[in-house]
Amino acid sequence: MEATAKSHFTGKEEHAPTKPTFAFWRPSAKTGLVSWLTTVDHKKIGFLYGSFALFFFLVGGCEALLIRLQLIVPNNTLLTAQQYNTMFTMHGTTMIFLAVMPLGAAFFNFIMPLQIGARDVAFPRLNAFSLWTFVAGAIILNVGWFLPDGAPDAGWFGYAPLTSKLYNPTHATDFWILGLQLLGVASIAAALNFIVTIINLRAPGMTMMRLPVFTWMTLITSFLIILSFPAITIALIEVMFDRQFGTNFFEVSNGGMPILWQHLFWVFGHPEVYILILPAMGIVSEILPTFSRKPLFGYPIVVFSGASIGFLGFTVWSHHMFTTGMGTVATAAFSLATMTIAVPTGVKIFNWIGTLWGGHLKMRTPMMFALGFIWMFMIGGFSGVMHAAAPADAQQQDSYFVVAHFHYVLIGGSIFALLGGIHYWFPLMFGRRVSEFWGKLSFWVIFIGFNVTFFPMHFLGLNGMPRRTFTYDGNMGWNVGNMIATIGALTLGVGIAIYFIVIIHTYFKGERAGRDTWDARTLEWSLPNPPPEYNFAVIPTVHARDAFWYEKHHQAEIAQEKTAHHKAEESHGGIHMPFQSIFPLIASIGALIGAFGTIYHDLIVAIVGGVILFIGVYLWSLEGAEGYHLHLDDEGNEIDAPKH
Amino acid sequence: MSDTTHSPALDGQSAEESKFAAYVSIAMLLAVITGVEIAVIGLPFAKWLLVTVLVVLSLVKFMFVIFYFMHLRWDKLFCTILFFIGLVLAGGTMWALIKLFAVEASLPLSISLDTIADFSRHV
Amino acid sequence: MTSHSATGAIDHHHDHTTSTGIPNKKLLMWAFLASDCMFFGTLISTHLIYRLHPPPGNPSPRALFDIPLTSFSTFILLMSSLMMALAVNAIQKGNLKSMRSSLLATIVCGAIFLGCQVFEFDNFVHVKHMTITNSILGTTFFTLTGTHGTHVAIGVLWLGLMYVRSFKPATGGQPWFSTILHVLALVVAVLLSMKIVLSIVWALEAHGLSAATLGGVFSAQWLAIVGALIAIGAERWFARPAGPVQFDQSNAIDVESMGLYWHFVDIVWIVIFTAVYLLEYL
Repeated sequence: MEATAKSHFTGKEEHAPTKPTFAFWRPSAKTGLVSWLTTVDHKKIGFLYGSFALFFFLVGGCEALLIRLQLIVPNNTLLTAQQYNTMFTMHGTTMIFLAVMPLGAAFFNFIMPLQIGARDVAFPRLNAFSLWTFVAGAIILNVGWFLPDGAPDAGWFGYAPLTSKLYNPTHATDFWILGLQLLGVASIAAALNFIVTIINLRAPGMTMMRLPVFTWMTLITSFLIILSFPAITIALIEVMFDRQFGTNFFEVSNGGMPILWQHLFWVFGHPEVYILILPAMGIVSEILPTFSRKPLFGYPIVVFSGASIGFLGFTVWSHHMFTTGMGTVATAAFSLATMTIAVPTGVKIFNWIGTLWGGHLKMRTPMMFALGFIWMFMIGGFSGVMHAAAPADAQQQDSYFVVAHFHYVLIGGSIFALLGGIHYWFPLMFGRRVSEFWGKLSFWVIFIGFNVTFFPMHFLGLNGMPRRTFTYDGNMGWNVGNMIATIGALTLGVGIAIYFIVIIHTYFKGERAGRDTWDARTLEWSLPNPPPEYNFAVIPTVHARDAFWYEKHHQAEIAQEKTAHHKAEESHGGIHMPFQSIFPLIASIGALIGAFGTIYHDLIVAIVGGVILFIGVYLWSLEGAEGYHLHLDDEGNEIDAPKH
Repeated sequence: MSDTTHSPALDGQSAEESKFAAYVSIAMLLAVITGVEIAVIGLPFAKWLLVTVLVVLSLVKFMFVIFYFMHLRWDKLFCTILFFIGLVLAGGTMWALIKLFAVEASLPLSISLDTIADFSRHV
Repeated sequence: MTSHSATGAIDHHHDHTTSTGIPNKKLLMWAFLASDCMFFGTLISTHLIYRLHPPPGNPSPRALFDIPLTSFSTFILLMSSLMMALAVNAIQKGNLKSMRSSLLATIVCGAIFLGCQVFEFDNFVHVKHMTITNSILGTTFFTLTGTHGTHVAIGVLWLGLMYVRSFKPATGGQPWFSTILHVLALVVAVLLSMKIVLSIVWALEAHGLSAATLGGVFSAQWLAIVGALIAIGAERWFARPAGPVQFDQSNAIDVESMGLYWHFVDIVWIVIFTAVYLLEYL
């Protein structure tokens, strides 16, 4: 089923001067495989990101279940130590880079342009390139499963010197390095695109302080991405050079310092966790007002807090290194900075509570997830603040207390919000509504399973159980906690399974939803569901924050405006749509081949990949940003014959 | 700053010449400053003073290139803000990293390379 | 999306189709450069960190660096920035000829800079015996300056492609054959010229200035010289005036964006020259 309405586009613009552009195939398929491979439509791209993300979420979940099954009893033999290392490495890497981030990207892509009244992102082909490069990165990260080298096994944070050729001679670590590099390129390209889109493609009247909070969080997250990923790009280049060419970045015998890896990684790694949570906070900031029937409380301060969290996120990275002996001054400085971040975060929570306060609460499924987010993220925040106290962290570091903390913020925070967002925007994207009963059931099973899994881990950690160890002895006092946690994990797995089955069933056979199912406040809900390829028949003029709410309560004024703008847009040639293109895909394929060449130290393959990448990009630039025009009649239906 | 194409030929000519002249003058200034930098390192002054002078001169060159050659001076302020966000963050991160590695707690132990080589052979 | 400019002049500094008036491509490039600041900042940090407490046996930069050579290449890069600014200025006024010659000058300056780097690297490896693997200084120095050099090389390639693009005929679609050959001619001309000049410099360095030395170079490099002359000739032929082209003031934004990248590579070198080279002499 298509996420967009059918179009009458035929690829030929009548009356246009015939130019022999035989060299540039302008793919015009609107359905079928080619339409997906050449799409530049932000909605289709968002759908693809979401599909891949949900697939990898299941993969990461299986990896987690294997970890928990190994740890259900002491001295278990389900997994060898080597296999266990691979499991926790891939679970972390997959969940962060292949599940949560692309799920965020799915919403940035689908929802953000609709919220600002745009027809697409600023650079549609660059958007497609980001998607396909993400797929390439996902392939490289996971190809080790099918090869004798094995999948990456040095932890999701790849500390030196464990990642050196000496201690990790197979290609597993190279898959990790090059996979992350490709994902980094994809993320940076997408983030640059979103920044330009939000800054430059807003509808008339959409000032920055009228942007929906989700769009603001998209903007701040994009800044975090473009400013933090370079650090890991450099760190990965350095470790790759050490492995491939024998350089000395982390080679102690020749003056290298492995601790440098930790610093460079966490300079990226800390902003990365804010990249994971800010979109979730944005989603919650959309859901709560809709289901409280009230505007968001304290909009300016919520926005400002988001920006503060983003900025402060760059100042705290060494709180991941409190036990590495940085010296008193450094440790104290980072400890203080980390505590400071709790302030804007707390401010947001108070504002969300303020939004709920006195509201007419509708406890639909998205609202359950949003409320769950507030409570669970708070718990994660509390354990985080406990970590911020460096002396306490000396005991907690590398223990299950840390595992508890970040799963509370990542599952209780990010995942809850993303799952809620899927329920919330499902009627808009697919024109169907998830059944309240099954949605709420999946929520409760997930909620219970999640807490049963991770709450005991606080105590396991405080009682000394270390992370990343494949088994434990039976006389440490950890047996009960682990058994409970595993039972919780299996419950959580059941909850996720219910969630997925329900969503997939709804996609194909769910109850049809009318427009603006939730009586919401933001512009994306003003569109038909699913939205047509061109999004808005007439670009809206924004008069206030919660632009659609204003529209609904000033219908006469808005109707007049729309008629006038429709005429104006027609006189300018109609709706401009971008052509589809094959070149972003070709460029990504080149990057994929180049990465394989680099992994296997094969110069020919690397050069072939580079050449394909170059050709893809060069032809992309020569093809140009031309498009075609669509014309709509007064009812918003497409007209085949262009008006001139 | 917008370009007009309907101005009298003479004005257009001199406007073009003055921008051309401006760019060339700045380039010459940058070359001179580079020369001065090279001369400075031989001067018999305190190290901290020389370092400060070099950093300041480099900053001056840097600012000239971004504000004139890269046109920031005449573009919308947001472009400047955007770039300076990256620049300041990079500078701050650099400063923090160097400070972290310069403190006493981060000094590498003074073991000779032979000892390290010995150690890795026996492990 | 394309901008619908009204009749008359293009305002190169204001795009009325965007919310801020900043053209999309310009905004994209500035955001990318902000990101690249963090990229080079991290790399420069690595180098400076490893200069804090060099291990015993580490080469001494003072014994290695050739400040006159590096000053010369710094000057060349500054001049290339000037040429780039002039190229952008020219195309904003619709002056194609001036833009093309300025772009070629920028390419030549970029190629000279790269040639100086090749010379320097070769000297460090073969004469001073510092490689990327045998010391920490070698590792950080070659990686940092090599990454910068790669950025320069990508810029030179981009400049060449933009230069060739400015010859696309106004009618008849994309002439693939001549475009590819033109690009090849330019690339071969630049590479072979670099090879020839480097050979001369190496020969002079090894044997001193004399007729015999120069003669030796010409006889050893005769094939490269012939190739370069053919490539330059071919380039000039493809660059002959041949009717109206599809490149004018409306393409200025692309040249300007490329210019921003090129200037950025220059300012990164300003930082590297000071932090990596000059500071060692204090």
